[in-house]
Amino acid sequence: MAEEFNTEGMLDVYLFENQQLLEQLQEIVLDQKDEDCFDEDSINEIFRTMHTIKGSSGIMMFDNITAVSHKLEDVFYFLREAHPANVPHMELVEHVLAVEDFISGELEKIQNGDQADGDSTEIVADLDEFLMTIKGEKKGEEKKTEVSGNVHKEPTQFYIAPVATDDSRFYKIFITFSPDTEMANVHAYKIVYALKEVAEDLLYSPEDIISDESCAEPILQEGFKILLQTKSDKDEVQSIIGSGYELEKVDIFECKAEEFFQGFDFGEDSSRIDLESSVEDIEAKTAGKDEKEETQKEDKSKIAPGDFVIQSKEPGKQKKLARDKPKAEKSSFISVNVSKMDQLMDLIGELVISESVVLQNPDLKVPGLNLDNFTKAAVQMSKISTDLQNVIMSMRMVPLTNTFQKMNRIVFDVSRKLGKDIEFEMIGEHTEVDKNIIEHISDPLMHMVRNAVDHGIETNEEREASGKKEKGKVTLSAKTEAGKVWISVEDNGKGLDRDKILQKAKKQGLLEDGKPESAYTDKEVFQFITMPGFSTNEQVTEYSGRGVGMDVVVQNIQEINGMLDIDSTAGFGSTMSLKIPLTLAIINGIVVETGGASFVVEIGVIKEFVRVKEEMMICEPNGDEYIMIRGECFPVLRLGEWYGMDEDSYRKSVEDGMMLIMEIEDRKICLLVDRLIGEQEIVVKPIPSYIKKVKGLSGCTQLGDGSIALILDPAGLM
Amino acid sequence: MEELSKQNQDDLLDISDEENVRKSKYMTFKSGNEHFGLDIQYVNEIIQIPSITAIPRTEDYIKGLINLRGKIIPVIDVRLRFHQEPLKYDARTCIIVVNVSDVTVGLIVEQIAEVIEIKDENILPPPKMGRVERTDHRFVYGIARVGNSVKLLLDPDKLLNDDDISAIEQSNSIVLVKE
Repeated sequence: MAEEFNTEGMLDVYLFENQQLLEQLQEIVLDQKDEDCFDEDSINEIFRTMHTIKGSSGIMMFDNITAVSHKLEDVFYFLREAHPANVPHMELVEHVLAVEDFISGELEKIQNGDQADGDSTEIVADLDEFLMTIKGEKKGEEKKTEVSGNVHKEPTQFYIAPVATDDSRFYKIFITFSPDTEMANVHAYKIVYALKEVAEDLLYSPEDIISDESCAEPILQEGFKILLQTKSDKDEVQSIIGSGYELEKVDIFECKAEEFFQGFDFGEDSSRIDLESSVEDIEAKTAGKDEKEETQKEDKSKIAPGDFVIQSKEPGKQKKLARDKPKAEKSSFISVNVSKMDQLMDLIGELVISESVVLQNPDLKVPGLNLDNFTKAAVQMSKISTDLQNVIMSMRMVPLTNTFQKMNRIVFDVSRKLGKDIEFEMIGEHTEVDKNIIEHISDPLMHMVRNAVDHGIETNEEREASGKKEKGKVTLSAKTEAGKVWISVEDNGKGLDRDKILQKAKKQGLLEDGKPESAYTDKEVFQFITMPGFSTNEQVTEYSGRGVGMDVVVQNIQEINGMLDIDSTAGFGSTMSLKIPLTLAIINGIVVETGGASFVVEIGVIKEFVRVKEEMMICEPNGDEYIMIRGECFPVLRLGEWYGMDEDSYRKSVEDGMMLIMEIEDRKICLLVDRLIGEQEIVVKPIPSYIKKVKGLSGCTQLGDGSIALILDPAGLM
Repeated sequence: MEELSKQNQDDLLDISDEENVRKSKYMTFKSGNEHFGLDIQYVNEIIQIPSITAIPRTEDYIKGLINLRGKIIPVIDVRLRFHQEPLKYDARTCIIVVNVSDVTVGLIVEQIAEVIEIKDENILPPPKMGRVERTDHRFVYGIARVGNSVKLLLDPDKLLNDDDISAIEQSNSIVLVKE
């Protein structure tokens, strides 16, 4: 068993992780697409995401993904460190999305076992150009041609900004080592390492104390300088640094945030920082004045932490952090193979069975036994196993967030291409639905959203002409109600044009003969748009108008027992609602019994239970039976008879049995069963494929006592 | 039963004689008057008859569904499959759960015999029928001599999936011929 858990390949993990990262990325980007720029958190997040993708893709040797993510990482590195003003935000958003598309495309190829052979050069070139542009705007006087196309200089160090909090204190620490200390850089690093434990932000000079041994000399001569942002007080810092024979003097000054952000200015001659190893710092500081000719140097100057990190902490810039919107709390997840979930589900089934075997054990039926304690323990056990079942069911439930997020992207893309100014709102995206259902509604939703954006919302000019003040808006909402999930796509566009639809329907011969157009209700008219090949859009656009779409929606929805409801007011927009079951795996059913066998009927199709009298029956000469109930005539099906049961096992007389009136798509049938057992939530299992499909049965299930009940498919009975 | 144990002894003698002969193990069971053998690699387990949920409108030999520790599997009655007279299930009636190319099915058999080893050289193809041309031997792919008795070796794939009705008479006639 243990081995099995470790056999998931690296590739699976890689794909899974990166797909998740991309989803997060897209969420961040779309979240802030309408702002003027990304806030600092998002820039950091995107940067980190790209960094991670770059790293893992490098390991997996997907060079094109590495190249692209690397480029975008560069761009965001620059954004984060240099805070260029006037970044064309929309362009940036598009670049990020392009990269995201490219990578997910490649990941898909990999997933399908194909080569990740996408050509990254174009995107990389685009990003280069973009990077040039934003750099150009920041340092206009620099020669733009300096950075060469695809040649990238790996930045020497990435500086991932730690979290800053309000009650932080700032310290300047100046350490002098005793002159005879050997390898002072290592000692310095030890201190830095120790401080990292408590540091929220940490800068030090000289910078390169680990790899550059020659900086031991300057450390001895000039001392070692540390800028520390931490919550600890001075004494704590002092004790962390400790004391040792090699430390001659440790000066710790508490300072203000502003001072901190000014950098290594210890109130002394600033030329003291002119150390060999921190030459970039100096260059960076003078970057505004001096033109640098070497590409490399320019490249380095942009990443020298001594400069830009401090810039990024300018008090003015911190406002961006402050206006953070409430951050969605991130719950932690682990990914589990679905087959293991299924296994777990089966095991729980077994547990329930063995539970009932124990609790209903015939040995307990011996008269005169005192079972008080046993019963108590048994009740407790049943409670736990019921809870366990519920938890496992809920594990299959997935929030709609990702699906909705994809719609966000579609609205964004389509509206931009069509030049429509559209706002997108999501309500209730955390509504949870069974995983299987999500797979089925993704496509229909996409069609509906596209339709709303393309057909529903007017162009900006049309809106203006019709005097609509508010922005075009598409609202995607989800809610749970009465055991069903309602998902609706609402737009405030022009609505459906009843006359136009009727005309088109007439042209296609969909109207019933002899029925006047006015006799159609709005709902009936709107249903026409779900017919295959029906589109009122005169022009075929990239997104819709070909007449496929709504029929696909209806088809997919019907597959999962869902319904589509269309509502519209001309001039004010339309609403399309999907009503879908929460889950396919569990249905609420009525358990009935006939001839000693149990059957389950989905509760939704049952209209009524009735006890009937013999005289209500009508029997045709050919054997067909009908029943008259309150003036309505229903065909009757005797379940035992249909089932071919032993003649004696089921009740013959309708007066002994129970009638179930079932209705499906306006057709009704009366089913005679022996008796009702009760209502129960049941786990639907398919009938083993070995048995050929039987009409009237849609599956089977295991009842609490371990016996098997067949699930009736009313449509098959009719 | 006595007969069985005697056979068993014979088998054991056979096996101890030769070491390097190709042989495989077979699960044998009794159905009607005959003993059948099923290659042990297909057999998952043997269980007692639980309650069976019948399925309407299927072949009569498909007795229904059973709940095998949470897994729902179909069961077929081997006697009915062979077009033998149905027998009332009793304490000896067992279900052999077989797994053939990922399909798990329970076989209801009258009585389980034993697991025996049969050398390949002792397995003969089923005899050709004289008058009627029957190239398609439905269930039995070989006839094994074990000591003094004969076991009919079943092809599980055909047992489960061949729905030719004439197959039953065939297997019965083979039995007759052998006798």
